[in-house]
Amino acid sequence: MRKPSTPGLLLVGIALVFAAGGNPAAKVGEPAPDFTAKASDGKSYRVSEYRSKFVVLEWHNNGCPYTRKHYDSGNMQKLQKEWIARGVVWFTVISSAPGKQGYVTAEEENAYLARMQAAPTAALLDPTGEVGHLYNAKTTPQMVVINPQGLIIYDGAIDDRPTAEVSDIRTARNYLSLALEQAMSGKPVETPTSRPYGCSVKYP
Amino acid sequence: MICAATARFRFRVSSLAFFALTCAVPAHAQWVSFPHGTVQLLTETNSIAPGRGFSLGLDFRLESGWHIYWVNPGDSGDPPRVQWKLPAGITAEAMQWPVPHRLGSSSVADYGYTGDVLLIAPMRASANLPLQSPAKIGAQVKLLVCRELCVPGKAEVSVALPVSSGIPAPSSSRALFSAARRSLPQPTPKNWRLTVKEQKNTFVLAAHTGFHVAHAQFFPLGDDQIEDSAPQNLASLAEGFQLELRKSGRLVNSISRLKGVLVLPSGRAYQIDVPVRRAAPGTPGDGLGRSAN
Repeated sequence: MRKPSTPGLLLVGIALVFAAGGNPAAKVGEPAPDFTAKASDGKSYRVSEYRSKFVVLEWHNNGCPYTRKHYDSGNMQKLQKEWIARGVVWFTVISSAPGKQGYVTAEEENAYLARMQAAPTAALLDPTGEVGHLYNAKTTPQMVVINPQGLIIYDGAIDDRPTAEVSDIRTARNYLSLALEQAMSGKPVETPTSRPYGCSVKYP
Repeated sequence: MICAATARFRFRVSSLAFFALTCAVPAHAQWVSFPHGTVQLLTETNSIAPGRGFSLGLDFRLESGWHIYWVNPGDSGDPPRVQWKLPAGITAEAMQWPVPHRLGSSSVADYGYTGDVLLIAPMRASANLPLQSPAKIGAQVKLLVCRELCVPGKAEVSVALPVSSGIPAPSSSRALFSAARRSLPQPTPKNWRLTVKEQKNTFVLAAHTGFHVAHAQFFPLGDDQIEDSAPQNLASLAEGFQLELRKSGRLVNSISRLKGVLVLPSGRAYQIDVPVRRAAPGTPGDGLGRSAN
């Protein structure tokens, strides 16, 4: 075993470990990793440009029954409208690889957004899975909240009902809304993490 | 005799299905389909007795390529959730989960089962369970079946078991139960010494087993304690091994015990439940569990 002789080599080594092992690059309480991604609207979005606002990242797969639970019921669209009206920036992130479930072209995603009356700030296309890996996203729907200081304040499930049944939404505790509500009123987030439920993210 | 008991019942329960089931079971349980698989509710004995425990089993058969999940499904997925419909006097105990397999991809690790799996459900019959009528036990199973895609499924299964005071005779499914029990994790041998040391980014599980171990795999019982997809680095010790488990990025509060299942190359699996010791600040934390306790 030869030790890496330069810091450059060492860095390469660390980067590989991160990529292979799913090391938590993103962690609650720590700065949100920065990225730039292309959206279905043709624009590029850089997450660090939204400092001073709350940012929601929503991992999405339109074929996943758990995602469909929240879209067919209109729950996700309602949350998007409600929080965007309160100044939140909402990025839907699609990390499905080409050929895998949930992969969409920009046109297909725009048609889906219109059909579902979904209204995120933008739908980010992440076919390489780069953004997904950066945030260690495991499932759809997994939710991340970044505060105006650029720190991750929530990472986990959308709510406390890990099912694909629409009837569970009404009585669920919505962790996303609770985190935003509490953080906006200057309180600590009571539940900063939870096990994200749903389908696995369909990485390359 | 079972059917005779049912005939009396029919005045109250006129369902033909109930009649058919009661006559057919326990000899021939009914297969119920769900997407990409089937399930039947088996009984280990042909009858049950007041005051005695007994076992039922959910016998899952999955289409090739599809899987269901362990009690801790790992990064994604959901375990079968069972809602029992039990007559008065019968209570269900915790389900017994055979050792799972690591499924999924390199970046999303799931724990579950492919092929055939029997989940054993231990039950208890109270001492004053009435002898005359068969006990009808039902289970509503909600589950997620996945290949690359996931499909939620539902199945309702039931059995009717005669209640008699004699020692229950084994059913034709007894061998399946015995085989399933062999695949359950066992308590660790008394001479093993186990420690778990918490470091900044890892838990180091050290096991002094008394023999050389070249490979081991840990399945955590609690979700979001370790990073499911991270490699588990093993270092052999003279008489055991230590395993580095990377902490989950979502582990916010420290845990007091590490619980899970440890699988050795022999295929033997052990229940792990070890207190977590925080590494003293400033020490390099070599993790070579010196087995202080």
